[in-house]
Amino acid sequence: MFDCANVEMRELLPELAAGTLDAATSARVEEHVASCAECASELETLRLVRSAFAKSPRVDTSRIVMALPRPVVPARRARAASAPVKRWIDWRIAAALTTITVGGLSLAVTRRFRLPPDMSPRQSTRAIDSAGGSRTSIIARVPDTGRTADTGGGAASAQVARGTERKAQLSFGGGVGDLDAASIEALMGALDELDRAPMAPSAEPDRTPVLPVIGEGSR
Amino acid sequence: MGQDHERNEISTDLDLIARWKAGDERAASMLVERHAPALARFAMSLGQRSDVEEVVQDTFVRAFGSIDSFRADSSLRTWLFTIERRLILDRRRADRRRKDDLSIEERDAATEFDALDGLVAEEAEARVRKAVQRLSRLQREVFLLRVTEGLSYREIAEIVDSTEGAARVHYHNAMRAVKESLYV
Repeated sequence: MFDCANVEMRELLPELAAGTLDAATSARVEEHVASCAECASELETLRLVRSAFAKSPRVDTSRIVMALPRPVVPARRARAASAPVKRWIDWRIAAALTTITVGGLSLAVTRRFRLPPDMSPRQSTRAIDSAGGSRTSIIARVPDTGRTADTGGGAASAQVARGTERKAQLSFGGGVGDLDAASIEALMGALDELDRAPMAPSAEPDRTPVLPVIGEGSR
Repeated sequence: MGQDHERNEISTDLDLIARWKAGDERAASMLVERHAPALARFAMSLGQRSDVEEVVQDTFVRAFGSIDSFRADSSLRTWLFTIERRLILDRRRADRRRKDDLSIEERDAATEFDALDGLVAEEAEARVRKAVQRLSRLQREVFLLRVTEGLSYREIAEIVDSTEGAARVHYHNAMRAVKESLYV
């Protein structure tokens, strides 16, 4: 009894018998076996051994699974594993709310800037009111500063009304691109006034700083 | 070659292990179903006549209890075989201490496949069984791991705690002995 001298082919016979070779290698080995009596005999033996030992005693896998230790899962991972769908829905709701909010704000601002360029702010406001449409305005609560900010009858104006908790309304007519340099300057000045205004109005001029001093909150 | 097949098997096992660690107990069932038959066959080839299911179960319990120590350097099946082999050898040592007047290996060589003989219908298969039965225990382990489980010499060496070269020699000696027993 002889062994084949082609060691490479001979070493691949168990894999050929097991069917774990890729198609190309399998074809190559089979071609060799077809012309090699020693390898053909060895392959036959391998198939016999596999067939004789293929039978395994029946094992009750469910009983084995019952005996296994339970996985130690960190609480957070366990929650994630148990309710992955809910978590996904939460994210979708958050995304939808964000989209609606941002979209709504964008629409409001866009509408404000789409008034005809030849229409004054008052005209535009009246026109929108008379048409029963909704008017978008920027409203800020300002203290009694005694000042009125007016951009001077250009395409835009800002009015700051007197009185405690009075409303300051900024009305914009036409596009920002229609404003001349002076109007933009005046508008920016008015907005700066609003920014500088203290947030908590009072009947008397308030000398205390608007922002709390750090550390006072604990008293 | 068989390397792609081996890689796919390893990645499936790793995926199932990750799922089990995350709390998915169905993954444990799938792992047991994938490997229990091979472990039962290997237990038989190691001469385990009775309590095969118990041995397989103990193997899985031990493996799942120390799954974090599985480094995936080899396949899960190779690791399970290593655990099972150690478990069986430990049992034998314990048995030997109880019955130290009887050589376990000699007794196994004479009788270990008797229980299976009834299951073997084909005469050729019966002859193969007898031929394999005559091999030394190490030759038989190496030979059956290579032929029935399709493991590489590297994996076999890891399981039987030997070298790749030694595993190759054991396999070819076993093959020669089986062929002589069958055809001469």
